[in-house]
Amino acid sequence: MVLDLTMSMAVLALLGALATIAGCLEDLESDVGSQSNPNSQVQLAPQMGFLHRIFNKAISGEPISNGMSAVIGGTVTTVLLSQKFYPLTAIVIGAFIGAIILGIFATTSYAGRVASQTRFKQPLYMDIMRYTTPTIIGHNFIMNFCLVAIAYIQFEVLGYPFTIPFLALIWGISVGAIGSSVGDVHYGGEREFQNREFGCGLNTALSGRIVRKAESGLRNSIDNVWFCAKFGGPATGIALGLTVFFSSWPTTLFGYTWTAIGIGVLIVAVLTIMNRLIELNVRHAYGPYKEEKNEKEAKA
Amino acid sequence: MVAIDPTLLTNIFLIGLSGTLVCLAVHFIPVGGAPAAMAQATGIGTGTVELAAGSGLVGLITASYMYAYEPLADIPLVMAAGAMGSMVMLASTMFAGSLIYAYGVAVPFASAQVKKDPITGDRQDLYISKGTQGQGIPTICFVSGVVGAALGGAGGGLIYFVLMDLYKPLLSMTSAFAVAGVFTMGVMYVNSVIPSYGVGGTIEGVHDPKFRRVVGKDVITSFFVSILCGLLAVLIAGGMSV
Amino acid sequence: MSDIKERSPNELVLFGIIGGLLGIYLTYILPALGMQISGNVGELLNVIAPTFGALGGICAVMWGADAVRRVAKYGLGTGVPSIGQIAMGMGIIAAMFGLAIVQTKILAGPIVALVTASIIGFIIGWFAQNVIKMKIPVMIRCMTEIAASGTIIIIGFSAAVAGNFEFANIVKLVFDNGVMLAVFWVGAVAMLHPFNACLGPDERQKRLLYLAGSTGAITMAIMGIAATMTLGASGVITLVLGIVLWVIFYKKFWDEVYHDAASVVGTGLIPKTEA
Repeated sequence: MVLDLTMSMAVLALLGALATIAGCLEDLESDVGSQSNPNSQVQLAPQMGFLHRIFNKAISGEPISNGMSAVIGGTVTTVLLSQKFYPLTAIVIGAFIGAIILGIFATTSYAGRVASQTRFKQPLYMDIMRYTTPTIIGHNFIMNFCLVAIAYIQFEVLGYPFTIPFLALIWGISVGAIGSSVGDVHYGGEREFQNREFGCGLNTALSGRIVRKAESGLRNSIDNVWFCAKFGGPATGIALGLTVFFSSWPTTLFGYTWTAIGIGVLIVAVLTIMNRLIELNVRHAYGPYKEEKNEKEAKA
Repeated sequence: MVAIDPTLLTNIFLIGLSGTLVCLAVHFIPVGGAPAAMAQATGIGTGTVELAAGSGLVGLITASYMYAYEPLADIPLVMAAGAMGSMVMLASTMFAGSLIYAYGVAVPFASAQVKKDPITGDRQDLYISKGTQGQGIPTICFVSGVVGAALGGAGGGLIYFVLMDLYKPLLSMTSAFAVAGVFTMGVMYVNSVIPSYGVGGTIEGVHDPKFRRVVGKDVITSFFVSILCGLLAVLIAGGMSV
Repeated sequence: MSDIKERSPNELVLFGIIGGLLGIYLTYILPALGMQISGNVGELLNVIAPTFGALGGICAVMWGADAVRRVAKYGLGTGVPSIGQIAMGMGIIAAMFGLAIVQTKILAGPIVALVTASIIGFIIGWFAQNVIKMKIPVMIRCMTEIAASGTIIIIGFSAAVAGNFEFANIVKLVFDNGVMLAVFWVGAVAMLHPFNACLGPDERQKRLLYLAGSTGAITMAIMGIAATMTLGASGVITLVLGIVLWVIFYKKFWDEVYHDAASVVGTGLIPKTEA
């Protein structure tokens, strides 16, 4: 161990806080552009005759795009640090360049996907492009900043063997994996189909029939962030925060021993039990879809 | 060139084994792909590759830290450290995902592949909403996912350990960390994509009939490919010792 | 590079391999020439040499993007990105092996890496086709091509940062500082993004190739930034040239978008459809 216990715990808490912010912002950024899995609905909608004004940011799965912006941020930061920049400046500039490049990729995927849907008459809205892209860049910048800062602290302060770009990449991939598993469900399962009864489940036949009207006017991607920021984003943040915090907490307290591993397993067991409690709670609260169990899904 | 001796063969075999562990892990992790993100299928709403790699890489971070700061760490401890990191990552993810399914989308958790949850014994089929393949993360999927993450993290830790032992005498410490880390990542990605093709992007976990159908051929494929990677890794070490 | 229409796979294979290897070898040959020619010209050759590695990388990106396009059209069941990941996974293993195994015979390195990557790609493609039974007719060929282009991308961009493709040098200048991860990841995105971004029923090769050029040029610019740390002046050239190429390809891509899209409007309501 490099630091004494109090200091390590402080650093760990800081990492957890940064990770929570990064996770939250990552999910919101993917909701701005409608990335990852819910994107399939945005992609499908014009084919079903549902033309829309929602950004189609099909850069790739979230882990890949966030890994990319984070690794670019990490690389640029490393370059600047080698030029004796002040660390905070280096991280900010690095994160900004990573975010700008993600923004460039976002514009090409929106334009490319829409141009590949010519036969469904989906128009390419330049105003959507113009004000959604900066929003994407802004969200991604904050995420990048947090991730590169985590990587910097782990490399410089805690002495992890991997370099800043490596750690930034791994955290970028993880935050993307978590964001697409957690927050996207809120966007894809609820926000895109908000006109259906809450908790009715989403019949596969509804695919592509997304909501296109907002509280006022036509819905765009910024409206989606507003909604997801209430639950999907924070939940993602909690997941990444827990990951970063609890993956190092046992070894920080108990050293590199089997005891620490045991504590880790205990944490996982507690999470499993909490998941079971949620399962019981919802089964009890919502009850089965009894009356529907014998019907076929015929309704179109 | 490298002479054939038992240590090298063991190393090749261990790398092959670790690749296979990563491949096996993918089958355990309940992934529903795009339908799960719409609460139309059981499991985590993302892609198999990324989730396996994401959790495996968190395991790699914990395993590498363990390796770097505990000189006495043996293979099981490094593997366990990797497994712990991966498990924590996947468990937090699934837990937060459950929160969204439960209170954001408001659907009870249900698996479409089994009538009763093998662990809790709860009826599943009644709770599947109309026109879907189940939704959420029931206990069996959660446990299966945790086991899968443990396998993946352990596999990542093992390959990293073997590679570090191979490269440490030949390179400076910084370089050995970087080379072993990058190589581990390469093997991990190859081995998480192969089973993804096998399972066709979605699987519910160990109780899914698909598991038994595809696991055999995926594991064989992965084992051969990883053995090849192991051979290359050992030969790289030979190339370094000029 | 400017008059690409519907290119056949074979043309692109040749373009990728020859362009890629030429670029990679020029990073070695130009400094050797620079030694012969004294004075400013020789120094200039030394400085611009690494940039050619990145140019070779762009050729391979365009080839790889087309290979991804051909195989991913069939629907892989797990999304386009996975193929880019496996490409780079195979590519990095093969590149490290190829460059390391040749020891002092440095010139053979990229060729050995290319052959190794093709073999790994072939084996994985064969398994995917015959053991996992994916039933994609172009699987074996495309897997081989993807792995081969992946390894050229890795060596090309690494050479742009390290100055040449000698393994010890690459370890020192690309692995130790973590730039390898940027090569690995941004290279993968450069290769998989074009098809992923152009996915749809009206996808066209020309637009995709321009986009591949643009993503490759972004990668080149990032390598330029990294190379300012390792090589100094050469990095600036790579960076500036990368940005120039990016502007060109990005503009071409947008021209194609304007040409292909149903309509490009400043703003407006949703057009009426039957739904």
